[in-house]
Amino acid sequence: MKEIIIGFVSGIVTATGMGGGTILILCLGIFMNMNQHIAQATNLVFFIPTSIVAILYNIVKKKINFKICTPIIIFGIIGAIIGAKLSVNINAHSLRKYFGVFLLIIAGNEIYSLLKKYIFLNKNDNNNREKQTNKS
Amino acid sequence: MIKKTIIGLLAGFISGLFSSGGGMVLVPAFVYILKLNESDARVNSVFCILPMVITSAFFFYKNNYINWKVGMLCAIGGVVGGFIGAKILHKIPDKYLKLFFLFFLIYSAIRMII
Repeated sequence: MKEIIIGFVSGIVTATGMGGGTILILCLGIFMNMNQHIAQATNLVFFIPTSIVAILYNIVKKKINFKICTPIIIFGIIGAIIGAKLSVNINAHSLRKYFGVFLLIIAGNEIYSLLKKYIFLNKNDNNNREKQTNKS
Repeated sequence: MIKKTIIGLLAGFISGLFSSGGGMVLVPAFVYILKLNESDARVNSVFCILPMVITSAFFFYKNNYINWKVGMLCAIGGVVGGFIGAKILHKIPDKYLKLFFLFFLIYSAIRMII
């Protein structure tokens, strides 16, 4: 039951596009006491069925840009081979630390984009207000 | 082409190393470097990540790291959560969700590093 709830929450986060996979790995580590490698590998099993549904839907809707995706996929596979080989050879304790650093980078990026959005929105608001006061 | 090579290699590397986060690299790269709009970026990133995930799954499988039972149970919850999330999410303010997510992220990152 715990597993289904963790999956459910990660699914919702995935829908917002904020990285459901990272949440799944975190929850498996914290609530199920899973070792970092096993949590990561479990995320792979989680990702494949959930993403295939989304991909088929978007292929039918003709939303996939094969011209851009093909080279990225080819080099992505090369990158994944290097990354995965490295990952299985790092001990779980260090991998967990690197994952933590990676999470901080993601958090930094989120804070940056959130701030940017707000400052931009506020500026627009102010401009609109100025226009309105000018009119009146 | 050089841009696509670097984007692909980097996303693949992160995806292989952490089994996640490929999207965190690809979505901004698609938006800022390849100039796709936000929703196309998300759609195409998922399509690009799947082959990378299958590749890294092979290596984790060979090292006996995959827990099929937990993975499948999570996937069941994930499909339902993804569907409900996509349907109702635009009704919840994005801002609060993001803030909650951020705090959770920073807290757990620090816990992992220490």
